[in-house]
Amino acid sequence: MKVEQTTLPKKYHDAVLHWQRHNFPDYGLLPESWQKYFPSDPEFCLCAKMEVGMGDTVEVGDAKGQKRREKPEELGEEPAKHLLAIIRAQASTEFGSIQQHEGTLARAQDDEDRFWVLRVMAEELRHGYQMFHLLVSQDWSGVSGQKAEEMVEEILSMQTGSHVLDAFNLEYDSFVDNVVFAAVIDRVGKYQLSMQRVCSYKPFAASMPPMLREEAFHLAAGVIPMRRWVQRAAQGNVLVTMSAIQKAFNKWMPRGLEMFGHEKGGDSNIRFGFKNMKNAEAQSLYYDECTRMVADLNQRFIRARVPKLSPEEAEALADRLIRDRGRHDGISHEDLIQLPDRGFFRRKGDAAFTMVGFSGETFTDVEEYVRHLAAHLPEPYLHSRDMKQYVETLRAVAAGTITRDQAIKKMPSLKRVGGMCPCSKSVRWVMDSAEDPAPKRPSAN
Amino acid sequence: MSAVAEQIRIRSLTELDIARITAIDERLTGVYRPEIWERRVMFYLRRDPDASQVAELNGKVVGFMLADIRGGEFGLEETSGWIERFGVDPDFQGRSLGRKLFEAVVEHLKGQGATTVRTLVEKGDADLAKFLRAIGFQDASLTALEIRIS
Repeated sequence: MKVEQTTLPKKYHDAVLHWQRHNFPDYGLLPESWQKYFPSDPEFCLCAKMEVGMGDTVEVGDAKGQKRREKPEELGEEPAKHLLAIIRAQASTEFGSIQQHEGTLARAQDDEDRFWVLRVMAEELRHGYQMFHLLVSQDWSGVSGQKAEEMVEEILSMQTGSHVLDAFNLEYDSFVDNVVFAAVIDRVGKYQLSMQRVCSYKPFAASMPPMLREEAFHLAAGVIPMRRWVQRAAQGNVLVTMSAIQKAFNKWMPRGLEMFGHEKGGDSNIRFGFKNMKNAEAQSLYYDECTRMVADLNQRFIRARVPKLSPEEAEALADRLIRDRGRHDGISHEDLIQLPDRGFFRRKGDAAFTMVGFSGETFTDVEEYVRHLAAHLPEPYLHSRDMKQYVETLRAVAAGTITRDQAIKKMPSLKRVGGMCPCSKSVRWVMDSAEDPAPKRPSAN
Repeated sequence: MSAVAEQIRIRSLTELDIARITAIDERLTGVYRPEIWERRVMFYLRRDPDASQVAELNGKVVGFMLADIRGGEFGLEETSGWIERFGVDPDFQGRSLGRKLFEAVVEHLKGQGATTVRTLVEKGDADLAKFLRAIGFQDASLTALEIRIS
C-alpha cells in the first residue's frame, strides 16, 4: 500500500492557505505543539494523498466489471454531474467543519482535547484540499458549466449557514459540540468514505483510503474525551454533565442521520458505481454503531460509579435501567445516555416534520412538541436562528399552510451567503500566479 | 469447531473497541484500567488504524493485537513492524485467534514495507514466549537493557 502525495497548483494552494488565515487562525499552533501531543507521528502535510494500487475494475453498478473511469468525460453526463455534486458537498463539509470547530476550540477545558481537535481540523483542511485536487486536476466544465477556479471560489466562500449539508450550518454552543460532533458527524463521514472506496471514478476511489485512516483518529478524538467526561461525571464533576452530553447527541444525531440522504434514496449511487450501499442500509448500520458507542459510554459511567461490577454486569444494569426506566445502586436511567429515536427532530427524509419525540412517541400538538424539543436540546441552541426557523416551519406545516415537501425544501434557509475574501471586497480567494507547480512525489505512508 | 471458526472476523482496530480491550485486559490481569487503553488505542489509531487488529467472534471482540510501523529507532534503519500489546479473552483461547491476528498484522505491515516484526517479552513470561516462538519469532540480536533512575 503506497500513497502518492500531490500539491495543488500554486494559485489553489495559496487560496487554501489564504482561506486558512481567515477561518482557521489556530492552524499555526499545530506544528509547534506536534511533538508534545503527537510524538513520533509523521508531520502533518497539507497535500492531496492518492492511494496507489487501487483496483482497475468497477466493483458495483451498471458498469460492474468494466475498467474504472479516470476522466469525468468517461463517466457520461448524468453520472458526472452526480459525482461532481458529491465532490462539492464533500469539500463543503471539510471546510465547513473547520469553521464550526474554530468557534469554540479555545474553550476546551483540557489542552490535550484541544490539540486533538486542532489536528482533526488540520486533517479536515487536507481533506478539503484533496477534493480541490479532484476538482482542478480534471476538466469538469462540460458538466459544471464553471471553470475550476469558480468552483473553488464558490466553496471557499461558504460560511456556517451556507454550506451544502445542514449539519455544517449549525454553530457550536460549547466545546461539548466539538467532541460530540467528532464522534457523531465524523462517523457519518467514515461511512461515506468507506462506501466511496468502490467508486467507479478512480481518482475519487483512490482519495478514500488515506482520508479514512485519518478519520479513525477523528472518531477517537470524539469518543475518548467523552469517555473521560462520563467517568468524571460519574464521580461528581458537574462541569460536563451527562445531561449536557445527552443534549448534544440530541442536537447532532438527527442531522447525522439526514446526511445519508432520504431513506428511500441511493439507487443512483449504486447504479453509477459510486457507493456500495443505499441510503437506508448505511443509515441503519450507522445508527447501530452509535448505539454501541452510547452503550460503551454508559458502561464507563456505571463502572466509575459502581466499581465492583464486572463489564457484563455493568452492561446488563444499563440495559435494565433504560428498559425499566428505573433506579439501582444510586443510578437512575436519566443518568445514562440514550440515542434519540430515528424520527426525532427531523427536517429531511421519511420522518421530516412528523413530530416524533425522543423515545419515538408521536405528537399531534405542535406547541407540545416544541416544548418537548426545548426540554431535550441544549439551551443555547434553542436561541439560534436555525431553531427559530425550524419551529416556524413546523408550525406552518401543522397549520396546513405549507406541505411537508415544501417545508423540507425550505430547510435550511441560508442564514449567511458566501462572500469574497474579507481582506477586501475586490479580492478573490483564488488569484492567478505565474508559478504553477504541481509536483508529485511518491511516498510510503 | 468449524461452525465457530466461520464466525471469526479479523478487522482493523476502531475507537469503539476500547471497552472490550479493557475488559479482556481486566480478565487477563485482574485490573480495570480504562485510562491506559484509551491512551494506547488513541496512539495506534492516530498512527495507522489498519496496523492494529481485533478478532471478533459473533460480533464480540475477543482478542486484539496493537502494532505499528517504525524506522530509525535503536539504529535499526530498516522499516520494522512493532507489536506492543495483544491479548485474547481466556474464554476464547485455543482457537488460533492469536495466530490469526498476527497474520493479519503481518500482512498489513508487509504492505507498508516492513521487513521485520519485533516485540519485547518479559523474561519470566514463558507462555507468551512460547506463543511467539510458535508463530515464528526467534531470538533477536538486540538485548533489552534498563536502569532504574528513581
